Amino acid sequence: MSEVVKIKGLKTGLQLSFAKGASFEDIQADLQNKLESGDKFFIRGTTVFVQKGYFSEERNEKLRRMFHRHGMLFSDELKNPAMLPISKIPKRETQSQTQKTLIVNKTVRGGQEIRAEGSVMIFGNVNPGAQVIAGGNIDIRGTCRGSVHAGAFGDTTACVVADRLMPMQIQIADILARSPDDLEMPDHAEKASIKDGRIVIDAVSR
Amino acid sequence: MSQIIVITSGKGGVGKTTTTANIGVGLAMRGNKVALIDTDTGLRNLDLLLGLENRIMYDLIDVTSGRVPYNKALVRHKKHDSLYLLPTSQVKDKSAVNPDDLIKLCDDMKKDFDFIIIDCPAGIEQGFKTAIAAADMAIVVTMPEISAVRDADKIIGELGRADKENVKLIVNRIRPQMVEKGDMLDMEDINEILSIDCIGQVPDDEAVVMATNRGEPVIAMKDSIAGKAYLNIVGRLCGESIPFFKPPKEGFFAKLKRLFSMLF
Repeated sequence: MSEVVKIKGLKTGLQLSFAKGASFEDIQADLQNKLESGDKFFIRGTTVFVQKGYFSEERNEKLRRMFHRHGMLFSDELKNPAMLPISKIPKRETQSQTQKTLIVNKTVRGGQEIRAEGSVMIFGNVNPGAQVIAGGNIDIRGTCRGSVHAGAFGDTTACVVADRLMPMQIQIADILARSPDDLEMPDHAEKASIKDGRIVIDAVSR
Repeated sequence: MSQIIVITSGKGGVGKTTTTANIGVGLAMRGNKVALIDTDTGLRNLDLLLGLENRIMYDLIDVTSGRVPYNKALVRHKKHDSLYLLPTSQVKDKSAVNPDDLIKLCDDMKKDFDFIIIDCPAGIEQGFKTAIAAADMAIVVTMPEISAVRDADKIIGELGRADKENVKLIVNRIRPQMVEKGDMLDMEDINEILSIDCIGQVPDDEAVVMATNRGEPVIAMKDSIAGKAYLNIVGRLCGESIPFFKPPKEGFFAKLKRLFSMLF
C-alpha cells in the first residue's frame, strides 16, 4: 500500500491530502499509525488542515478528536496565516519570509536541533549529537558529524550535501543509513541521495 | 573594571575546581583583588584545594539568604592577601541558591574586587544555570577525551542560549606522549569540533595531585609544567599574548631511565 495520507508543511501548520480512492477507514488507520509512530512533525500545538468539504462533518469530528488526543488542533478551512493567533503558529528559527530556505549562521552543537519545513543551509559545522530535520534539502558548508534528516515529509528526491559528510545517521524521507564505524574524514564535498531505494553517497564539486 | 568569570565544563572531574584555584592564585600573585565563589553546593571542594577548610565560618547560603553580609563569609587566603574565598554549604543542595541571588551578590561584590571567579558544578541543571547567570565571561574546561569534548560542545551551546558569547577554552590533562602516538585527541581535533578561542593547554602532571592534597595550588610550584601552563593562562587572561608552550619531548636519558626502571 502506498502513502494513503500525504503531509505537506505550511507556515501555519500541516496540510493533509489523501490518495485517490482511499476509504475513510484506511485514512483513519494510517493517521493513527503516523501519530503513534511519533513522527517528528506531529508536534503538540500544531494545526492540521484538510480541504474544506472533503469529509462530512461527522468524519471531521472524528479526526478532530483523534488529533486532540495527541494535543494538536484540527481545522477544515485553510485560513490566511495572518488571522491565526500567534501562539498557534509553530515557532521556528528566524526565517526570511521571501525564501523557503532556512539559513543558519553558526555551529550547531550537540543537543541542539534545527527544524525547517523547507530546505536548510548551514554555514558552520553540525557537531556530534546535533540534529537537523528539514522538509527539503540540507546543505552544510562545514563538517557534518550529527544526525541529518532531509525530505522529512516523505520527499524521496531530497538530498544532503556537506563539505565533509561524516554524519552519525542520515535519513532521507523514510530511509535511514548509519555511517560505518571506521569513518575517515573525506577531503571533498559529498552528496547523499536515494538511488534504488538506498542512500548512496557521491562526490560533488562546488 | 571588574570581571566576572565562570569556570564550567559539563562533565565532572575534568579540573574545574583545580583551574579555578590556580587562576585565582595566579591573578592574586599579580596583585589583583580576587574573590572565588564556590557554587558546587553539597559537594564543595574549592576550600580543600586552597587549604582553607578549617577557616570557614559562614557560607554562600548564609549570604544569599541574608543572614550575614558577604564580607563576613569571605575567607582570606593564608599566603595571598588579595585572594578571598566565598565557600558554599556542604549540607544544603543546589536548589538553595537561585540565579537572581547570585547576580545580586556579584553586583554587590563587583565594587570590591578586580576579578570574581565562579566555580560551577558539573551538569547542566539548576546549579549550572545559577553559576553562569552573573558571568560576563565563561571558561570551558575540557580534556582530550571524546566524552569530555562532547560535553564541552553541549555546554558551549547552552552558554550561547543564555547569551554568553565570550567563551574561552582550556584543555586540561594533556599527555603529550599519547598525543604523539595518536592515542589521544590532539589540539587540532578539539579545535575542529569546539571552534572557540583556546587560552590554555595544561599537561597532565603528578604535581597537580600533590598540590591538591597539600592545599597549595600547583601554580605556586615554580618547577612544575602544569604550574607553568597555569601561569601562561593567567597571563593570557590579563591580555598578554603568550605562545603555547610545546612540552619537551622525552629525552634520551629519560627514555633510558624509563627502560631501566622497567627492567629492574
